Amino acid sequence: MTAITPPAAPAGTTRPARRTQARVVTVLTYAAALVLGAFSVAPLVWMVLTSIKPRAEILTRDPVFWPSEPQWGRYVDVLERGFSGYLTNSLTVAAATTVLGVTVAALAGYSLARLQVGLKRYLLLVVLATQMFPMVVLIIPLFAVMRNLGLLDSLVGLVIAYLSFTTPLAVWILRGFFASIPDDLEDAALVDGCTRFGAIRRIVVPLAGPGIAASSIFVFIAAWNEFLFALTFVKQDSLRTLPVALQSLVGRAGADNGAIMATSVLFTLPVVVFFLLVHRRMTSGMVAGAVKG
Amino acid sequence: MTSTRTRPLGRPAGPTPGGRGTGGSGRGRRWSRHWFDNRALPRLLVAPALLLIFALIGYPVARTLWLSFHDAGLPALTGGGMDFVGLSNYTDIATDPQMRRVFVTTVVFGLACVVGTMVLGIAVALLLNRPFRGRALLGVLVLLPWAMPKVAAATVWRWLFHDQYGLVNWGLVSVGFSSFEGYAWFVSRVPAFTAIGVVVVWQSFPFVALSLLAGLQSIADDVVDAARIDGAGPWQVTRHITLPLLKPLLLVLVVISTIWDFKIFDQVYVMTQGGPARSTEVLSITTWREAFTQLDFGLASALAMAMFAILSVITVVYIRLVREDQGLSR
Repeated sequence: MTAITPPAAPAGTTRPARRTQARVVTVLTYAAALVLGAFSVAPLVWMVLTSIKPRAEILTRDPVFWPSEPQWGRYVDVLERGFSGYLTNSLTVAAATTVLGVTVAALAGYSLARLQVGLKRYLLLVVLATQMFPMVVLIIPLFAVMRNLGLLDSLVGLVIAYLSFTTPLAVWILRGFFASIPDDLEDAALVDGCTRFGAIRRIVVPLAGPGIAASSIFVFIAAWNEFLFALTFVKQDSLRTLPVALQSLVGRAGADNGAIMATSVLFTLPVVVFFLLVHRRMTSGMVAGAVKG
Repeated sequence: MTSTRTRPLGRPAGPTPGGRGTGGSGRGRRWSRHWFDNRALPRLLVAPALLLIFALIGYPVARTLWLSFHDAGLPALTGGGMDFVGLSNYTDIATDPQMRRVFVTTVVFGLACVVGTMVLGIAVALLLNRPFRGRALLGVLVLLPWAMPKVAAATVWRWLFHDQYGLVNWGLVSVGFSSFEGYAWFVSRVPAFTAIGVVVVWQSFPFVALSLLAGLQSIADDVVDAARIDGAGPWQVTRHITLPLLKPLLLVLVVISTIWDFKIFDQVYVMTQGGPARSTEVLSITTWREAFTQLDFGLASALAMAMFAILSVITVVYIRLVREDQGLSR
């Protein structure tokens, strides 16, 4: 592609001028795309690169962009130095929150989407508004209750606290999914003699599968990432979850940046994979075609 | 408008083959099933979620309000027996210069983040709406900052902003800003907030951009084509067609971003912990600090309620907008 523009003849200026303009726009578009791509990805790339650099190449005035010898062993080190424990804690809490939260939310979401519940409008507003609450409004009373029930320094306490902000979110998402399943399918089942439960089990649950998967992933990510409650309710080191463990590593003087970055990678990787997964799920029209092929 | 659930008329409610000898009881069963399906079941299904929401959100909010009128240390908080102090926690906040500074900081920093997020988000949406090769790939790459946990993002950016070995300073120096040689971002207020703001914007622009992109793609082509035929250039199309049509969506996004950016805790805690000398505290950090390091739960509750009040106003606006936009009562 050469950028030679023919000398503009005085009579026909518009055509070539417009063509140059289009070319400028194209060049600008690609330049912007490149900058944007770099801005989005560079921190993640740098995180991974730093995590596998030998110590001597991390602390250099001029950055070393490619590690001379990738230190994959650092991940093993990090896991052996207690991080497999934090990882297990995070997984346990996130999984338990997901199972409990999504179960409760699926029931409520279905009811809100389909059945006539009094106060439905207000319920939805409450659900929506709870997403807006600052967590610091909840944390003091929850802390007092947890302390009195002996649930501080316990993963159970964390799961309960996490249900506070994940349940409304899951209700909101699932209600949307249930609402998108055509009523006709269920009505047909009812007409054919199914009970409401039968219709739910045979028609709604299979169709809502993607919705349940998506909301599970959302809840899992929210619980996995949560920092404030975990920081406040768990002081015992062996019960910490990943974000708190990572933060305490960052705060430590003379911490090994390679280890910090390796931990960040371990913490980030599962949610990024999950996130990309839901994104596709959410956009693919799930029930398109269920009614009228 | 809710669809009224009608029972199929003129058909037996249950599978009653033969139908002999089931007359009266079948009718009763039908009625009870009807009652169960339409009255009891919906409530039963919503009950667990409602219970959770009331116990974990309703009660704490009410209790925080109550605590904000009391003088509560740690023993009183969990054991009871605290003194009612009326509005003195609130007046303490209003008269303390540090607290006043925190409020101003939170608002200014929050709004700056909102502006940054919106500007970048709009620009990225417009870019992704143009045809070019690699657009699909870029659409995925842009998701990554959003997907990253906040604590991890703050950790990585803290390292990128490192004074001696950070990539940011190296980049700034190599493009000619030699004053950034060894520049320390986290020792004073404005640079520290700049660094935190970069992380916040980096993580929140994808949501805005992708929401707007979906909005842009839903604008019917013929509207744009008509404008083009009438001689509108790309700038005029953006200015007079696209932006007005997206206005409701833009408003909702501004409100959501404002709510998010006023609540920020994680990024600040990881990057500066509110320091040095409490200069980078925002409202949520101050609240947390008053509660869990100063153990002044009354004052912290008052701060939390102040924040709650601010966010409630914004939330009400948000709900109004959502209602107007799509109608909540589907």
